[in-house]
Amino acid sequence: MTPGTIRFRLFILMGALTSMTLALACASYETFKTYQLGRQQLEASHFLSEAISTERNSRRLHRRHDVSLKNEAEFRRYIRGQLTYLENKLLYLGSLTIITLLSGLAGLQIFMGFTVIRPLKDLSRKMTDFMCDRYTYRFSVPGSDEIGHMHATFNALAQRVITNMDELRTLDQAKSEFLNIASHELRTPLTSIKGSLSLMRSGVVGEVNEMTGNLLTIAETETDRLIRLINDFLDLAKIEAQKLSLRQDWRSLNDVINGCLKSLQGLAQQAEVRLLTEALPPLEARIDGDRIQQILTNLVANAVKVSPKGKSVTIRANVDEGHRLAIEVRDQGCGIAPQDQEVIFQKFRQATTSPLVKGTGLGLAIAKALVEQHGGEIGVRSVPGDGSVFFFTLPEWRYGSQKPTEAAA
Amino acid sequence: MRVLLAEDDPNISLIAKISLEKLAGHEVTVVCDGEQALNQALTQNYDLILLDEMMPKMNGLRVCKEYRTRCPDPKPVIFLSARSQECDLREFNENGTGFIPKPFDPTALPRQIRDLLERAA
Repeated sequence: MTPGTIRFRLFILMGALTSMTLALACASYETFKTYQLGRQQLEASHFLSEAISTERNSRRLHRRHDVSLKNEAEFRRYIRGQLTYLENKLLYLGSLTIITLLSGLAGLQIFMGFTVIRPLKDLSRKMTDFMCDRYTYRFSVPGSDEIGHMHATFNALAQRVITNMDELRTLDQAKSEFLNIASHELRTPLTSIKGSLSLMRSGVVGEVNEMTGNLLTIAETETDRLIRLINDFLDLAKIEAQKLSLRQDWRSLNDVINGCLKSLQGLAQQAEVRLLTEALPPLEARIDGDRIQQILTNLVANAVKVSPKGKSVTIRANVDEGHRLAIEVRDQGCGIAPQDQEVIFQKFRQATTSPLVKGTGLGLAIAKALVEQHGGEIGVRSVPGDGSVFFFTLPEWRYGSQKPTEAAA
Repeated sequence: MRVLLAEDDPNISLIAKISLEKLAGHEVTVVCDGEQALNQALTQNYDLILLDEMMPKMNGLRVCKEYRTRCPDPKPVIFLSARSQECDLREFNENGTGFIPKPFDPTALPRQIRDLLERAA
């Protein structure tokens, strides 16, 4: 037990209190024993005096008896005096014991208050401050007792947390910088390649014969694919690094859906798939319009790719029983096996039976992350052989002022 | 039409130059930083100025502001920029005739320019 610790001080305090109380208790006990002895002697003397009186009355030998009686009476007076003294002493010792105990308890209370409760409260206040990013712990000098030790440990811990946080911040900054540089450095050359190819294709820089045309097509297709891939990668990297901020605004859902339809008209015509929208109520949602259009375009493009020729893809929006706005994309393709329905929303995963062999495997992962960032959910309902319905929900929506649009395209 | 094109990426400027010359028959002068752009715009006579927003020495918006205050008869200015946030767009439209988002399709560039000029006229 080291001096200076609370345990040591408590031991001393409690030891002193216990020994004082014990000494007082012993003294009281001794006094009480003497007192009882006195009482016995007093009674014995009474008894003796009564016996002598009886003897004197019967035998008339009163002179000798008178002396004895007088002695006994004197003895009793002396004993009574002693008993009174002992009673006072007992009373005094009793009160002293109680006072000692009470003051000991009060002392303990004060001791605990100063050495335990106050430092604990102080430490807890500093911890609260730390939680609120006010670093008051730096100004405290911990004592040498157990709580002081705890305080010092907390200080060290806090210092480490701050160091780690600084490191994380630096790393986070490096990550942002990397993403910015990567997106710029990867996109710039592709932009030039794409621009050059489309100029060559337009024929302004020279006649394009069939073979050159075929080669240009390969270069163009693959450039487009690379651009898509890089955009997907960067989107996902940004989402994962939590660097993608949404620009949310009240937008008409019809505008978003029409924008998506317009951009996919070419693809649909090529695949000979009809794009349909069911009559939509005039709804508005608080969304990042570009991002929701990106999600919807991804879902519709997938639906077109899996649809056989002559079939249709339907987009509809409705409000479900949970008062959530859901946007659905229904295709008439081959459907998705139940074991694939979870997998397809993971990165780099496609359904094992997927005809989308040329996809990046990132589209649905991005869509899921973006929908979740909007506070919604994404999912699929599908019966193999009977098409699939991809849907996502948007939590913040209202009825808009627009007239409902009729089925388009 | 005599066009001044300020763009620091030589690939992009070559693509834009070919597009404007071959597809639309404009006469294109290329400069690669903000200071040159301002000098050329003030000293030579152009019908249209195309400014990249991000350029060394002086950015496109500053070139445009300088040009408009110093030139007695400023010609239309169109920005090329990868920035597409609403506040940026407003700034482009307030300072110049309009804005063409990057990356642009070189086969569509002449048409985009014509549309912007017609809208302004």
